[in-house]
Amino acid sequence: MTEMTLRAEALTLGYGERRVIDDLSLALPAARMTTILGPNGCGKSTLLRAFARLIRPQAGVVTLCGEDIHGQDTRALARRIAILPQAPLAPEGISVGDLVKRGRAPWRGLLSPWSRADAEACAGALQAVGMTEHQERRLDELSGGQRQRAWLALVLAQGTPLLLLDEPTTWLDLTHQLEVLSLLRQRNRDAGTTVVSVLHDINLAARFSDHLILLGPGGLVAEGTPEVVVTTENLQRAFRLAARIQPDPVTDRPMVIPL
Amino acid sequence: MKRWILLALLFAVAVALSLLLGVRHLTPSDVWQAVTAPDPRNPAHVTLLTIRLPRLAGGLIAGAALGLAGTVMQSLTRNPLADPGILGVNAGAALAVVLGALLLGRADNGIVTVLAFPGAALASVAVFLPGGGLSGDAGPVRLTLAGAALNALLISAVSAIVQFRGEALDILRFWIAGSLASAAERPVAAMSLVALCGAVLALAIAPRLEVLSLGGSLARGLGTRPGIVQAQALLAVTALTGAAVAIAGPIGFLGLMVPPLARRVAGHSLRLELAASVALGAAILLLADTAGRLIFPPAEVRAGIMTALLGGPIFILIARRLKPGAQG
Amino acid sequence: MKRVIVLVALLVVATAASLLIGDVNLGLGALWQGVWGGDGPAALTIRVIRAPRVAVALGAGAALGLSGATLQTLLRNPLAAPDIMGFTSGAGLAILVAITVGLTLPLPLVSAAGGLVAAILVVALAHRPGRATPAATVVLVGLGIGFTTTAIGTFLMTRLPSAGATEAQRWLTGSLAARDWGHACQIWGIGAVLALLLALQVRGLGLLELGNDLAAGLGLRVERTRWMLAATAVALSAAGVAVAGPVPFVALMAGPLGTRMTGAQRPGTRLTSAAAAGAGVMLLADLVARAGIPGLQLPIGVMTGALGAPYLLWRLSREIERGEL
Repeated sequence: MTEMTLRAEALTLGYGERRVIDDLSLALPAARMTTILGPNGCGKSTLLRAFARLIRPQAGVVTLCGEDIHGQDTRALARRIAILPQAPLAPEGISVGDLVKRGRAPWRGLLSPWSRADAEACAGALQAVGMTEHQERRLDELSGGQRQRAWLALVLAQGTPLLLLDEPTTWLDLTHQLEVLSLLRQRNRDAGTTVVSVLHDINLAARFSDHLILLGPGGLVAEGTPEVVVTTENLQRAFRLAARIQPDPVTDRPMVIPL
Repeated sequence: MKRWILLALLFAVAVALSLLLGVRHLTPSDVWQAVTAPDPRNPAHVTLLTIRLPRLAGGLIAGAALGLAGTVMQSLTRNPLADPGILGVNAGAALAVVLGALLLGRADNGIVTVLAFPGAALASVAVFLPGGGLSGDAGPVRLTLAGAALNALLISAVSAIVQFRGEALDILRFWIAGSLASAAERPVAAMSLVALCGAVLALAIAPRLEVLSLGGSLARGLGTRPGIVQAQALLAVTALTGAAVAIAGPIGFLGLMVPPLARRVAGHSLRLELAASVALGAAILLLADTAGRLIFPPAEVRAGIMTALLGGPIFILIARRLKPGAQG
Repeated sequence: MKRVIVLVALLVVATAASLLIGDVNLGLGALWQGVWGGDGPAALTIRVIRAPRVAVALGAGAALGLSGATLQTLLRNPLAAPDIMGFTSGAGLAILVAITVGLTLPLPLVSAAGGLVAAILVVALAHRPGRATPAATVVLVGLGIGFTTTAIGTFLMTRLPSAGATEAQRWLTGSLAARDWGHACQIWGIGAVLALLLALQVRGLGLLELGNDLAAGLGLRVERTRWMLAATAVALSAAGVAVAGPVPFVALMAGPLGTRMTGAQRPGTRLTSAAAAGAGVMLLADLVARAGIPGLQLPIGVMTGALGAPYLLWRLSREIERGEL
């Protein structure tokens, strides 16, 4: 298998005059779970959107396997990178099954019929998120946790080796946050999918991720394993937060206790 | 202060142009002589006394009334797109008149006068209820579209009735776009009394309307009863719009154009804004009417068409400036 | 499935009724003769007068319905129909201008040009650099374009001699009077091509419904698809206007009405039911407009205005209850 590594090279991002990310270079390790952390407004989502080619860099490039993603055919790229935005829109009255089917779009030609591979991918995705028995139900009848699982099923059905998620746990209660993150880790371990997400909760990120990217107001603060990144000094630099770090009694990963 | 002087100048120019320009141009000395020593054999004097002056009076009353109605409406709904024409109040008055003429078989001044008011009142209630205007926090989109819908409905009914009567298209045109051409035959004096009552009411409730514009619950906390103020404001709008329609037919977009200009002149006091609206409404309508007389002489373009030509682009200008948040 | 049959049956009954009812009411026998080439006066009435009119109503209604449903989905706003946003009045004004100055271009081209100009104006005026354009602003600016085109139309009308003004009034309200088989072929031919073009883009529309970001993530060229869909929708509404005039509210009502009747959810079936509903509304409105009050033939635009305005008011009050607008 070729190394599916997304890499940012001298990346500068912004909207009009306002620069959000300045001259950033880093790689998202393949087949790992990576989480982007940082305070509000530091450019976490912007960076993720750049990796998903949703915005064009003002300078620098994002490469996949060494090639600029903006030079590639958008449908071919959609077979390799999936993105779940923060607030996707649900068509009125759509059923879970129909929603998940739309995740197969990059695999279907203009007139090609619904294939067996498509059906299997959808069934597998619904199975993976535990929504098989709910596929006939309407999305707007579901609870918040179930709805988020349905959206996850859509991007899983896309069948990509890379999965980008913008704050997939926002609006969910703690149980459902754990559920979504466990699901993602399951996918990462079973299928070797590279999972990259933006999260707010440092402790959850440290617990579930192999690799952390910590952004601060001035750009990249640290990247590496949770043990390397979650330190008192880094938290002070990124969040201006005074905190003590202790090992999580359950997982032994670093845990933040604000002072 | 400078802006008040500009406004006074604009008003004076509008009045002067309306008296002097037309198919037959007059000179200021004609006007002076016609007033001081009228000569019934001098065609210039006759034109002035029997055509221009009544037309000026009609334009003053209708324009001032519509300007006031627009300012009251925009203040009541906090919607910069509110206007008696756009929201269907004009069309309601027009429909009532046309319907009355159909049922009673005559269309004299009495009918027009008596029917325009209930028509305007019904339409303003009809647009404010589904438009959410009375809850005091209707988004501009909702209220404006409710008005557009009501307007379309009423105009459909007007044109159906006019076609049913087999009358010439001309009457239809009058009831879709008003004009000052027949102001001499309209009950201008009676209507100016009604408009005056509306204006006094509007001035009286202005402070309470200002409080109301802070939002229903805050207004309640400040001791105002929103329901009553709203009812009074709608009554004022009805009196003003009904009077204007009885004189000039439905003239749209004046109420849209006047308030933002009035605010520039008067700042943020609603009473001063209302005062400025009187002069601005009259001036704009007179200018529109004069321009309509000059474009293709001897034919006339109706004042209502002139204001609509001007008002459409202004509507767009205001619509695109609205903050997205205000559209929720 | 059952509801689809109801909709189809309704269309068939409306078609038959439109063929039979009018100044002279005909029987089923005459319909039979008319279809199979009989040559009595009744058969001729059907073949020469009523059938083309019915065909135009069905075609124009379907085109307007497709156009409305596409734009409503694209802008995610139930009010974003070509008639509310001034596209149809732009197309109507272009035709009026062409007739006034004696231009001899084919009317569908003129009307398409007018609709496109109106649409481009709406988009350009609603757009403010560096900011996202809310759908509500687009709708309001479109309403303003509608006001302006109507004002210009009324202004031009005052310059016309009385006979011309009557004809112009038709073009400003929408009418199906005196339509012949040429008009029917025109709307069905152009409509079929545009509908095919739309069918090829239905999947893209389904992805756009999920939001621009997710659609892009799923491999869609978002901007290009949006522009293509919008252009197809504008062309469809212009094709309808070219044969029937700017009939108000059909495009607005067709989408929600069709979805409600068939319960369709996928974009493809939703568009199909919008087309069917548009055709049905148009046909019934025309029938009532010409036969509802004996001895009086109203233009269809007056009737859809009277039907559509209460619908719009109801829709607005419902959105208020649900807190959506």
